Amino acid sequence: MEAQGLPDLSARRSRLLASGDRRGVALSTASTVVVLAALLAVFLLAPGSRQVRHTFFNPADMWRALVGDPKAGYYSVGEALWLNIRMFVAAEILILAAGLLVAVIRQSTGPVMLPLRVVATVYVDVARGVPLILIIFAIGFGAPALQLKVISSQSAAVYGVAALVLSYSAYVSEVYRAGINAVHRSQVAAARSLGLSQWSSMRYVILPQAIRNIIPPLLNDFISLQKDTALVGLLGSIEANKAAELFSDTTFNYSSYVVAAILFLLLTIPLARFTDHLIRRDQARRLAGAVALWAERRRVPALACPRAPPRHCGSRGFTSRSVLMRCSAGWTWRWPRTRSSA
Amino acid sequence: MAAHEVICLIGASGSGKSTLLRCVNLLERIDAGTIWMDGQAIAGTVSRVDENLVRRHIGIVFQSFNLFPHMTVERNVTLGPMKVLGLSRSEAVSQAAELLDRFGLGEKRADYPDRLSGGQQQRVAIVRALAMRPRLMLLDEVTSALDPELVADVLDVIRELAEGGMTMLIATHEMGFARDIASRVCFLADGQIVEQAPPGELFSSPSDERTRRFLRRIVDAGRL
Amino acid sequence: MRQIIVTGVAMLTAGMALAGCASSTSSSGASPGAGTSSSASAASCTYAGVQGELYAKGVLTVATDQPAYPPWFENNKPSNGQGYESAVAYAVAAQLGFKPSQVKWAYEPFDSSYAPGPKKFDFDINEISYSAQRAQVVTFSDSYYDVQQALVALKSSPIVTRHTPADLKTYVFGDQVGTTSLQFINSQIQPTQTPKVFETLNDVKQALQTRQIAALVTDTPTAQFISSSEIPGSVMVAQFPSTGEHYGLLLAKGNPLVTCVNKALASLRSNGTLARLTTKYLQIYTSVPTIKP
Repeated sequence: MEAQGLPDLSARRSRLLASGDRRGVALSTASTVVVLAALLAVFLLAPGSRQVRHTFFNPADMWRALVGDPKAGYYSVGEALWLNIRMFVAAEILILAAGLLVAVIRQSTGPVMLPLRVVATVYVDVARGVPLILIIFAIGFGAPALQLKVISSQSAAVYGVAALVLSYSAYVSEVYRAGINAVHRSQVAAARSLGLSQWSSMRYVILPQAIRNIIPPLLNDFISLQKDTALVGLLGSIEANKAAELFSDTTFNYSSYVVAAILFLLLTIPLARFTDHLIRRDQARRLAGAVALWAERRRVPALACPRAPPRHCGSRGFTSRSVLMRCSAGWTWRWPRTRSSA
Repeated sequence: MAAHEVICLIGASGSGKSTLLRCVNLLERIDAGTIWMDGQAIAGTVSRVDENLVRRHIGIVFQSFNLFPHMTVERNVTLGPMKVLGLSRSEAVSQAAELLDRFGLGEKRADYPDRLSGGQQQRVAIVRALAMRPRLMLLDEVTSALDPELVADVLDVIRELAEGGMTMLIATHEMGFARDIASRVCFLADGQIVEQAPPGELFSSPSDERTRRFLRRIVDAGRL
Repeated sequence: MRQIIVTGVAMLTAGMALAGCASSTSSSGASPGAGTSSSASAASCTYAGVQGELYAKGVLTVATDQPAYPPWFENNKPSNGQGYESAVAYAVAAQLGFKPSQVKWAYEPFDSSYAPGPKKFDFDINEISYSAQRAQVVTFSDSYYDVQQALVALKSSPIVTRHTPADLKTYVFGDQVGTTSLQFINSQIQPTQTPKVFETLNDVKQALQTRQIAALVTDTPTAQFISSSEIPGSVMVAQFPSTGEHYGLLLAKGNPLVTCVNKALASLRSNGTLARLTTKYLQIYTSVPTIKP
């Protein structure tokens, strides 16, 4: 049931589709440009545009905000960002560890762990149910009020990090649990069958696979955490958004907020692209393995592929399913032989 | 079963072959009866059994290979011996190398499972189980997921193990193979052992009607 | 085909946005633009004369923040006419010919009171200090109160006894965001440790009580009120010499109403009303020590 006369068809198809593809790209680019131009026109032509541009996008004020001038009543937004960075790096390390601990506890079986499981479940429910801002206030103002020796004399940033860890660990533990549950049960069976204990199989077999599954959502939470460090400004520490607010209140100009936004974007965008790269590389590795395996089975070399994907598949009356294989240069459809067992 | 015995379990899908195997290595809990190993009860009447200890001596190979995808072949094979048996790294690695070479997988040592064919993966799974030096090997339809041309390699491996004196409990659809190497064949239906006998007897003159029906269907499909 | 549909929808959306924005900005209220402050109506600062400059016809809309603190307001109700700023607002209104019933109060958080675009009030009275940079964005009236900054600390704090300018540099200060106190702290006191800045005065008071800050800096009347009624065990340590800071009413940039408001304030100053209100509500004790620079 090998496809007959395939090479000619696919070559002709790929030529046609290449030109159709070019037209599609041109059209979508043009429409994007038009929409953006329209929005820009709306912004520039609005009656209050000049005032808004002066208030929000004034380069002189943006520079002043970036550099800061304590004597004039405002601090450097750039320097204040350093506090945010330190906070979210410290918080993230603690969150990854705490979240994992809570997830492993919740996944455990056996009566010995029951009290811990209950505590963990209650913690996750409460921490996810209470808004982060309330947790920050509770810790940030409550801890000093207790007048205890060490706990009450920390800086606002420490309390802020503690609140962030408390809140985010609950969410992250659920992400871990999703990753752990996504690892197929057969892996657990294989690991336990070797004689590995529950803990050992979790550590060597399940968790490595689970974590590979959940790196995108973990990075997503990390990006979200970076923004939530802004809430620590409520406790009095001068972080980037607070510094922006100080500038704005002193000079009555909002350009500092734009500076803060740009700085945060500079942090977020590389991280987001890195996440995409990780996902792609992981998929490529898996699919590359699949191609090599498939090619060996069929005893045909993995062919170089035409550039554009054919739109139709299996439309010539072949009963077999078609399998999409990714090659180095592009995509191609293949019609594999069906197995003899139906 | 006796030491060095090879018992094949045959039967239709859902007849309980896999379940029986999983009960033996304590992956499933049994509701009634007892399982004994070396004179000691490991399941059933006895309450507290160290499952991990029991599983060290029983190796199992699954239908879907179940190799650990995030580890190389070598690491798959050395994980058990190092973490459970306490072998040192060099010991475990040399043992792995020896086993892998023996079964023709020597140059795949540093590859990840996703680069191997089905037959190679299954052979690695067998090697992984063997590395634990089990006293009993359970093989759960290990060739069912393979393409026909790869089945022979895996069967050769099992044949070699049987000739080497490994005690094995094999659930399989490969009737020809069962006839060749089994010392006893059990036919299961609806979770019961309907009939068990040496292969010569069972395949040529089965005593139970259900066995006869099953074997007739197999013969009609050209698989015997 | 799908591409065409997507493009069409996008262009439609953009077109509607364009139309909506253009119409709303053109039809929204009076953005006085680059109008001069000395307009023809300056001559008649009466009830009838100022009607054209009001946000809402027939009423004088005065804005302030929530909560409204003593001694500037009382009981968090600006409309009761008690408290220095409330009284000043009603006094200005009276000068312009408005009856108390024709004064409406609006809520405007400090952060948005200086946002660009038309305001939802005629003037905002909220202890807002004049600065030249701020005056580029909004219009300030003349001063209705000249400000001095003061220190509040707990009685047990060492700052109560040691507050020479050199000593002051060593403490951790706290103040409220949006006030000129931070600027004052950094330029006049110049502490070695960065001061803490809180969202609300309540947060600052809380920080003082839990000893996260050694002292808070705020204007003298507020400081006096906090130390006498709000924070038990606190004391107003001293006040600083004046740096020329003053509070002004905040109006939209270029709002011609400011001319009449300034005239009203001038009248209130000359007929002694401002002084009387100051004595009544702000109770500045001349015995409060002033820190020698």
